Amino acid sequence: MIRPVLQLPDHVLATPCESVGELDERALAVAQDLLDTMRGADHSVGVAAPQIGISLRICVVDITGHRKARSCHGEVVLIDPAVVEASGPEVGREGCMSVPDLTGDVARFTAMHVRALGLDGELHDYEVDAFEARAFQHELDHLDGLLFLDRVVADDRVFRRRVYR
Amino acid sequence: MTLVPHVAVTALGADRPGIVAAVTGVLVRHGGNLEDTAMTNLGGHFAMMLVVEVPDSETAEALEASLVEEVGGQGLTVAVRPIVEAPADAPTGTPWAVSLYGADRPGIVHRVAQKLADHGANIVDLSTRVIGPGPEHAYVLLLELSLPVTSDGDRLGIELTALADELGVEIHLRPDDADVL
Repeated sequence: MIRPVLQLPDHVLATPCESVGELDERALAVAQDLLDTMRGADHSVGVAAPQIGISLRICVVDITGHRKARSCHGEVVLIDPAVVEASGPEVGREGCMSVPDLTGDVARFTAMHVRALGLDGELHDYEVDAFEARAFQHELDHLDGLLFLDRVVADDRVFRRRVYR
Repeated sequence: MTLVPHVAVTALGADRPGIVAAVTGVLVRHGGNLEDTAMTNLGGHFAMMLVVEVPDSETAEALEASLVEEVGGQGLTVAVRPIVEAPADAPTGTPWAVSLYGADRPGIVHRVAQKLADHGANIVDLSTRVIGPGPEHAYVLLLELSLPVTSDGDRLGIELTALADELGVEIHLRPDDADVL
């Protein structure tokens, strides 16, 4: 089911999420709602559970077709994700569906190894880079109760979001 | 939509601890609510620019008088003006960023800004810094602009490069769009 995406100042966005642990019906339902919400939202490349009001460590990413993509794993469900290895910070400008009107410059790792449970209950390893690495980090931050506003490289690197074309 | 009264507050003075607390304290006591603000240290002076929502009963003149009385003695120059016009729409067009650096000389900002204006570009953010001890100090200019869709970014880039050669500085123009994640 497509869920409304919560926006600032909703407190759940700033709250670290609980681990899922055992994959149960509820976790699977949350994952499905996240997929539905990502597919339903225009241009969305990822949604994390706190954005739909659920404080569980689940997020989904799909950067298929993005012009800055190198690695691309298609539609990915990450349950209890953990960063195994990461390297190479690079600054890029991000916005977030939960932070309307603003964008900010954020340094992110350019390459990462992430391990997470999938919908099948198995551990999966993802080697991601470039834009997919940025999207993973943005969504993983949501699970820790962090927004891009907590990561901007300097206080004067936050901007009003522009209207395009 | 009813127009909520707003004022623009500017304050400038030699930097020291407590300026923001003092100025905003006066604004809060007058029922003001800060909206967009920019405050920064400019060459040892602390500069504040604030858009403040104020109660209907408040006037810019009265607020300025209070600020002058309460913080003017601390070396701050303060001005308050009513904002009568409706806020401009968010800039449309494509976002670009310009970075420039090189030996300082008079006229760099003006020449760059004039070139941008000639192309119909709207500067949405600009900051400059003087770096290093004089007399051979360097100058850094960073700005963000919105270019009308009818303007040609590549053409602007070529003309800025020619201007940079003339000014003896380095200049770069790059697309500056954000990814919504």
